This record gives sequence, C-alpha cells and structure tokens, in this order.
Amino acid sequence: MSAATRSDLAVKLAGGAIYGTDLDLPGMRWAALVPSPVAHGRVRSVDLAPARRLPGVVAIGAEDLPSLLPGSGDADRPIFPTREVLYRNQPLAAVAASTLPEARRAAAAVRVDIEPLPAVIDLESVFPDWPGAEADRSPHVIAHVHARHGEIEAAFRSADRVVEETYRTASVHQVALEPHACVASVTGDRWYVRTSTQTPFGIREDVASLLGVPEERVVVDGTWVGGGFGGKGSSLLEPFALLLSRAADRPVRLALDYRQEFELGRTTLPAVIRLATAVRGARIVGRRVRLLLDVGSSLPGRDFATGYSIGFLLGPYRTDAFEVEGYGVRTNKPPFGPHRAPFAPQCAFAVESHLAEVARSVGVDPDAFRADHLWHEGDSTALGQRVGPFGLPSALEQARATAARWRAERPPGRGVGIGMGFWSTGTGAGGEVRLVLTPTELRIVQGEREIGSGSVLRGLVVVAERALGIPSDRVRVEYLSTAEAPYDSGVFGSRTVGALGRAILEASASLGATLAERLGEAGPVRLELTGGELIAVARSVRRPVRELLSPGELSVGLVANGRHFADPRKIDDSRVVTGSFYPYTDFTGAAHVAEVSVDRETGAVRVERYAAFHDAGAVVDPGTARASVEGGIAMGLGIALTEEALWSDDGRFLNAHLLDYRIPTLGEVPVPDVTFVEGFPGAGPFGAKGLGEPPIIPVPAAIAAAIRDASGAHVTELPISAERVARALKLL
Amino acid sequence: MTAASADLTVNGRRASFTALPDDERLLDTLRWRLGLKGTKEGCRTGDCGACTVLVDGRSTLSCLTLTREVEDAAITTIDLGAGDREVDRVRAAFAAAGALQCGYCTPGFVIALAGLLKERGRSLSLDEILDSLQGNLCRCTGYAAIARAAALAREAAP
Ligand code: FES
Ligand code: FES
Repeated sequence: MSAATRSDLAVKLAGGAIYGTDLDLPGMRWAALVPSPVAHGRVRSVDLAPARRLPGVVAIGAEDLPSLLPGSGDADRPIFPTREVLYRNQPLAAVAASTLPEARRAAAAVRVDIEPLPAVIDLESVFPDWPGAEADRSPHVIAHVHARHGEIEAAFRSADRVVEETYRTASVHQVALEPHACVASVTGDRWYVRTSTQTPFGIREDVASLLGVPEERVVVDGTWVGGGFGGKGSSLLEPFALLLSRAADRPVRLALDYRQEFELGRTTLPAVIRLATAVRGARIVGRRVRLLLDVGSSLPGRDFATGYSIGFLLGPYRTDAFEVEGYGVRTNKPPFGPHRAPFAPQCAFAVESHLAEVARSVGVDPDAFRADHLWHEGDSTALGQRVGPFGLPSALEQARATAARWRAERPPGRGVGIGMGFWSTGTGAGGEVRLVLTPTELRIVQGEREIGSGSVLRGLVVVAERALGIPSDRVRVEYLSTAEAPYDSGVFGSRTVGALGRAILEASASLGATLAERLGEAGPVRLELTGGELIAVARSVRRPVRELLSPGELSVGLVANGRHFADPRKIDDSRVVTGSFYPYTDFTGAAHVAEVSVDRETGAVRVERYAAFHDAGAVVDPGTARASVEGGIAMGLGIALTEEALWSDDGRFLNAHLLDYRIPTLGEVPVPDVTFVEGFPGAGPFGAKGLGEPPIIPVPAAIAAAIRDASGAHVTELPISAERVARALKLL
Repeated sequence: MTAASADLTVNGRRASFTALPDDERLLDTLRWRLGLKGTKEGCRTGDCGACTVLVDGRSTLSCLTLTREVEDAAITTIDLGAGDREVDRVRAAFAAAGALQCGYCTPGFVIALAGLLKERGRSLSLDEILDSLQGNLCRCTGYAAIARAAALAREAAP
C-alpha cells in the first residue's frame, strides 16, 4: 500500500480542490478587519461613521452587537474589545463592501482612538529574576503548575554533581501555506459558515458561545484544508464573518493575506526553561525543571499550554525525585496557539541537550547515558502513570547503530547526533462515525475534513478496510457539515486514527454482526468484490450484499454507528501541588539521527543526512506514515535552524513575511531514512499509535546534538541560527 | 486607477473584459474574474510559488504579474484539464510518488515542473530541476516525495 492510493490525488492534481481561500457565495461581500494600532491600550472610541459614509459599506463594532445577536455571548471574551486592547492588530471593528479594495479602504477610514498603555512584550521583562512567591499575585501570571515527588532536597544535597542550565526557545508560526479564510451566510436564525478548519465541531461550539447563539443554529461546513498544524484548530475569522453577514444581510467572505496570517495567527510563543540535574556516579538522582511560558494574551482559565507542555520536560526519563514548576505568563501578543506537537520539540531540545551535557560532565557517553535512564514499559512516569508498551528504547538502539556507522564514514568537519522525543496519542473529547453499506460500496459518514496528513482519507479508510476485509477502493469518505454529521472533536493531537479509528472499528463490528446474523453464520464477515458487487463472506457462506438488505436498506444503505469517547486516565494527584497536568493515553516516541556540517567561519549549518526511527505502534498505512515522518522532519528543521517570529518592543511582528520568516526550502531538507520499530502496540485500532505529531519532536534535539558533535558549539537557544553557532564558537 | 478593456488567452480560450483595472494582478483575474481557482493564493509577495502559471510556456508568478502585461501571451494554468502532455506527465509522476498532502502547493509545483520540462526536457539534470524548484514552498511533505516525483517526471520527459 502506498500513499499513491490517496483518493484526493485526482482532484488536487486537477486544481479542482476547493480550499477556504477559494470560497465564494453568490452575491457575497468582501470583508476586512480594523486592527488595533497599539499592543496595549484603553479604547476611547472607535468611530465607524467615516467608513459607513462610503458607498455600499457595512461596518460593525462593539456597539452594534446587541442588535445583531440573539443572546449575550461570552462576557469574558468580547468579540470587539470595549475597554482594553490586548495585542496589536486585535480586531476593533469589521467592515464589508462590494470589493476587497473597497473593504480595505473602509477599514482604513474607521477612526480609532486608543490611549496607549505600557505594553509587555518580552517575557523575561516580566520576571527579570525567576518568579518567586509573589508570582501568584501577578496580573501577568495566568497559570501556575507545580508538582514534586521523592526526596528532592536530599537528592541535590547528596549529589556528586549538579548541572544547571537555562534554555530559551522562540516563537514559531504554523505557516500553513493556505492563510485563514471563510465565508458566512446568516439567513433567519441559521448561522452558516464554511471555513478551512481542523475542528468543524470545535468552531461550532466556539462560535455559539462567543455569539450567544444556540449550538444547533450554527452550521459549520469544512473545505479542503491547505495545512493546519494546529493553526486551524479554533475559531479566528468565523465570528466576524457571521456578524457581518447578519448586518449586511448578505453572504460575506473574510480572508487574511499572508502578512495578517502571521500577525493574527495564534503562534507558539517564547519560553525560558531552567533545568537542574543532580547525579551520583553516572546516575540521575534528582531533577528540577522550571518553565516560564509566554502565553500571549490568552485569557485566565483558558491556558492549556503550561501544564501540557511541562510534561515534556520530565519524560521520557526515569526520575526518582523531582520538582517541576511552571508559569504561564501573559504578554501583549496574540493568544498562544498550538503548533504541531505544541511545545514538545522545544522541550525535547532542552531536555536532550541538557542530559547530554550532564553525561559529559561525568565522563559518560551522552547516548549511553540517555539509554540508561530511558523509560521502559512498566516504569512509572514522574506523575505516577505506568508506562505502557514503549518502543523508544528499541528506536534508540537502532539510532545508535546508525549513528555509529555514520560517525565511522563521515568526512571531516561533520558531526552526528541523536535526539529523542515522546508523545501520547490524543483523544480529544471523542467522536462518532456512521458506516453506510450499499451493495457496491461502504461509506464512512463523518464530519472531519482531510487536513493533508491522510489521517481521514487514508487512516479511517484503512481501518474499515482491515476490519471488514473490503477493498479500499470500495470505501468512500463522506464529508458532511455539522448539521448532518455525527459529532467528533477534531483532527488534532494525532488522534484521528487512534480515537476516531476506534469508532470505525466499533461500527464495523456492528455491521459485521448484522451481516453474520443474516448469513446465518457466526462471524467474522468479510466483504469481497465480484463483478462490481460486494459479497458478504462468513466461513463457507457467501451471499451478495444486495440479497442481505431489506428494500428500505437497498435505497438508503445498511447503517451502523460507532463511537469512541476518551477513557479517563489518571495521574497520581498526590504528586501535584497545584495546577493541571495531563495524563497520557499511550506512550509513543522516536529517535532521530542527524548528520550536519558546520561552516567554521560563518556558523552556518547544513543538514547532510537524516534518519528517523519511530514507534508508531502498529503502522496502519505505511505510505502515509512515511509521508508524515518526512513532513514532520522538515517542519522540525525549521524550528531547529531558522524559524523565529520577531516581536518589537511595541508588539509588532517584525518578520511577517515568508522572505524573512524562513521555512525550509527544497534544497535544505535531506531525504530521510525512515524506519518503524514495531511490537509496541498502542490503544488505537490494531495497536496503532498517533503519528501526526511525533515526527517533529526530536528534530531540534538531534540537530543540536549533531552541531555539538561537529563543532563543539553548545547552543542553548532556538533557533540555532548561524549567528548563534558563531557566537558559541567565539567567532563573533 | 484607470480601467480599460482587455483580452486574455487562458488554457487556449479567449476571454474579454470590458473594464480591467491597470493594477490588477493576473492571479486575481484568473481566480476571481475567470473563476479558475486551481491557481492558489499564498503569500502574494513572490515568496511561495503557489500561484505559478505558465506564460508562453515559461513559469511565472501570477501574484507578481499584472494582467495587462500578459494580454498577448498564452497562459496555462492547472485548471486546463487533460491533454497537455507535459502537465499530464508531471501529474502522473506526482500521483505515482504520492507527492502531495494538503495539496495547496501542488498546482504551483506541477506547473513549475511542467514549465521546466517543456523548456529543457531531459537535458536538465535532476539537481538542476530541484534547484529551479527552490522558490516553491511546501509545508507538508518535507519535499522528499516531491523530489521523487520530479525524478519520475524527468525520466518520462522526451
Ligand atoms: S502567491 Fe505568488 S509567490 Fe506566493
Ligand atoms: S502539500 Fe501542503 S504545502 Fe505542499
């Protein structure tokens, strides 16, 4: 099976796939947002009159909301700020006109009066020293997480050596090639929006709560998605487009240009990570981990990132005694947003680089040192969860063999390094699917859209194919709007195959049971294809599906439903002092090997060779699995080497341009060797584990290790730009 | 901004406009006047390649091209259907290599590669081809599958 069997090839290669940016509706108006000119300020007035005087312009601001909305919306999350502006470009009003240039002119005509207030942009300016007890009273701290276990003070007191380091990581943007775009059409009490999204039901819920409209009146329909990577996981433009449509009584299109995509996108923001490790002999006896995470203008109570991220600073290593503490710190930037494996690559970079330094300080090979402390099945995580089947130790073993070979072969000036990362398949809230069997095909009826990874149009299809033995070209995915589709919580967290796939399994089992009963034979049932007709087969009995369906089923199909909602998992609460930490569903991971050359004059790094060893549980579709790893590595190289959103002191996104925010290009990404280590099943269908996010996680760590090996430069800041390497080598 | 009438030849068809603003970009004319949405809009600043079309057989960024400048040229876009041998060969190579994920960069890559092969065919080495595709960004595939597709397309070229 190869990725070549993806069913979207034909439409995408013909230019016929409709994305969010391609949407139009008859009679639609074009919209633009009115951005805040300051990063922080008090709103004095937003005067829409000059815009409204322009022909054909409809303009809406905070004052218009009561007349446009049936309910009162979410008071904590106003659509337009009425008192305080929290970040530059925050929308203050929205306009619609007959053409895009006219809409832009109208937006520019709006007179905005804001009293500037001091803006906090740089995370480290909030707490020049590390936050102490006063932090909990700081208006900038919206999340505080703290956990501990074991005799941590004693461990540090009795250590032979304590290594302490500080790491810094940059703000990175998803850079899906397709910027955000949607069309909305409000008619009567039906609030319809079509948008490029990873979470149609998430948008429905979000829009309903923001606008105070009952959920069942909001209809969200998806499109092909031109890359998501976390950036299209929650509502951004939809509420504005809907309100404008209501006000204009016409369909409205709202889309970002790429500059706005950078400026308004929800990015992963900078962080400072402090790690202290106590060793006795060659053994880690205690770890202290501290995190300051910039959460931008995220609202109190809406920070998921701090507690979620910090787990990645503790694993995947055994830790008898530890203390971990993190703060989510508010700044005047857009709210923090998830970026493929939110913050895990950054954490892995810090942990892996740090433990290698710890190993060196006690004269032990860094790879052997990490191997000695790695989780194995049956170990306990820092927060007291039992580690399930876990292939990372095997992956590391294979990675070490490859690294040894590459080291033996490498030309002078090159370095080889290993980085690791772990992950746990996401569940989301859960989801449902409907299978519909006709005499000639099986339809998977559901509400998600294919975001590109293949998890929907390959992953779900392969699960049905294997469960029912049906040829995959007889399985079709049907994409419905939230009004018609069964609920699912979204394509994120590497959950599609692992969680929604289990709903497919359940539906397949129920379909199989119905067919077995009608065949009068005990299961399992297979669906074979003969002369264009599906034949149900159980042991020696074979009958065409056509003969097994009732007249009613012959017209609408035989329907079977399946659902999978998250099984609650627990961490050991006695170790938590405060805040929310997140339990794992399963344990997956990867070891990557990088070979780089480092220019001894400029510090420029070139990636020469790359190999990835992944535990993905049982791989359900080798072609898409490999493609996910190849793509994840490239994104990881961006985080490692070039990508950094630069914010000025007054909150401007300085490099909001693809020329200055540099993602890897074709010549900069080597074709990697990809290997799957099998035999470590996860909770997904057939033992699958999620694979959307894991490939990006080990990359910055592997690159940093290779750079260290090639040049001796120990860079503790992402991205590892030529300049930072040169500085570490004292060339600058 | 002045607007006068204009004619354009796209995928072998002639289109006439009565009032076309002088500063209108080819990308917008294709997508919003002709409804040819296969050509994708990414950055609009010439940095991503998603909007690549052929102008008299040469790979061109339609976001940086004024429609007026190409009135006398033959424009080819991904929407042209089947029948162009080079475009079809490149499509077949992309399908065989599974060289797309979200597909947003795909029209740009297909057209750029077809343009290269039209112009130079197999006289180009694979490295030269990959070098010429550096201006096309892809965020999903890591380029590995695209490089495999380029190799297949080159082999199939005359
Ligand atoms: S849209 Fe033309 S190069 Fe990006
Ligand atoms: S396939 Fe998504 S950008 Fe290339």
